[in-house]
Amino acid sequence: MKRFDHLVLRCPRLGGEITFAYCRKEQGDLPCPRIIRCWQDLIPVEQHLGAFLSKDEWDRCFNAPPKDKITTIFEIVDEVKKRKKI
Amino acid sequence: MRQTKVFLNESEIPRQWYNIMADMPTPMSPPLHPGTGKPLAAEDMAAIFPMNLIEQEMSPDRWIDIPEEVLEKYMLWRPSPLYRAYNLEKILDAPVKIYYKHEGVSPAGSHKPNTAVAQAYYNKEFGIKKISTETGAGQWGSALSMACNMFGLECRVFMVRVSYDQKPYRRLMMQTWGGTCFPSPSEETETGRKVLAEHPDSPGSLGIAISEAIEDAVGNGDARYSLGSVLNHVLLHQTIIGLEAQKQLEKVGDYPDVVIGCAGGGSNFAGLALPFARDKIHGKDISIIAAEPSSCPTLTMAPFGYDFGDLAMSTPLLAMYSLGHDFVPAPIHAGGLRYHGMAPIISHLVKENIIEPRAYHQLETFEAGVQWARSEAFIPAPETNHAIASVIQEANRAKEEGKEKVILFNWSGHGLVDLASYDAYLTGKLFDYPLPLEEIERAKKVLGQYPKP
Repeated sequence: MKRFDHLVLRCPRLGGEITFAYCRKEQGDLPCPRIIRCWQDLIPVEQHLGAFLSKDEWDRCFNAPPKDKITTIFEIVDEVKKRKKI
Repeated sequence: MRQTKVFLNESEIPRQWYNIMADMPTPMSPPLHPGTGKPLAAEDMAAIFPMNLIEQEMSPDRWIDIPEEVLEKYMLWRPSPLYRAYNLEKILDAPVKIYYKHEGVSPAGSHKPNTAVAQAYYNKEFGIKKISTETGAGQWGSALSMACNMFGLECRVFMVRVSYDQKPYRRLMMQTWGGTCFPSPSEETETGRKVLAEHPDSPGSLGIAISEAIEDAVGNGDARYSLGSVLNHVLLHQTIIGLEAQKQLEKVGDYPDVVIGCAGGGSNFAGLALPFARDKIHGKDISIIAAEPSSCPTLTMAPFGYDFGDLAMSTPLLAMYSLGHDFVPAPIHAGGLRYHGMAPIISHLVKENIIEPRAYHQLETFEAGVQWARSEAFIPAPETNHAIASVIQEANRAKEEGKEKVILFNWSGHGLVDLASYDAYLTGKLFDYPLPLEEIERAKKVLGQYPKP
């Protein structure tokens, strides 16, 4: 599980260096949805993750709906409005 | 004596921003509301943006006046100088002139204040007292903190915890300018508290930070949210870069054959490129290159179209580069290809063949950045290095083809607060080369012994 955790890559989203360990848990229990794209030329990331993620986790992480920033923002706005009863 | 820098007098600063929506060769598809499937309306956006910025976001007008109050703040560093990179030209020994727009001269050290100042001003004018935002490594958060301070606004920045801990300098810039920087997840919001309850040591993520910043603003009448990239009005404010460059090049009697910028969310690239894209739309023969990290190939790999989100169609729909919901990838290839964080305007111009995207690996970009620092002396921000890698590629191409070219690019920021990134590169910590095949095969064999879920 921790074989590649020490490796460092520049994260194009955060604008800084992060370890594979961070990418692997970027969504709490799930990896960053872009972990395969960022790492696939460097390490056998797909096989690595495939060995540890259940099919459900894999689907939630990699087969979830694609989201851009504006989509994300308006989803959150709607959620917050509902929660705050606005 | 040769001229290295081209200046504009303060009186020559452009007094209007350029809105490319007026010149789009084909109409852009509007972002759609997930619930109705209809274009997002002003009232949909009113919860997070002030109405004067929403009007700019949706404006079809070609030129939009820059308020005097914004121009006064711009004057602290604008007009920014246009440089000629003679030293790099000499090293490359190619038949090119290389010009660059130096956006690192702003107080925050990057192009970001061009929109931060404008956004702070419009929020202030609308009666807003407090602005919330998220930031990764802190470039945007520091620029907005500075801008809010200029207009007497409170600034609350949710900075991804891993960056907050690892990169203190931009956090300190925010605090010095009077902003409040929270490590995200934080105790400030319900979202943050929930994450911390489940994962007390969470290093955070951009997703959590965005949620916190929006929650902080929504429902608070005198607060709004601010974004430093992607949106139309952000790109609009950045066009002052390209408009200045056009005037400066005119002074020395040049016009670029190639315009280059690095493209993450698209704002600095757009800032330089859009005024030239207008020229191209109206017939100029010019190449416009968006240099992006190969690790997030939003433009280079994905097709263009609406993203319908999930099967329940509960997410807003935006026409941009994406693999889309109807793309059913083999599970093993589904990950990063689905990323699409590029500004819709840039996506549209790529589709129209006005802009050409190119991707560069990170080691290649750092190599270019170091070559730049050792020839032109200024240390570039790591993002800027993508543009420099592209410049070098274009120069070498011109040499091979024996063609003279004028290259213009956006030197979007300095890297003095990013020296840890250079340290990672110079000490070989950055990982950017493919493992040898035999190593991959070995790893596969090892992993194959693990039980499958």
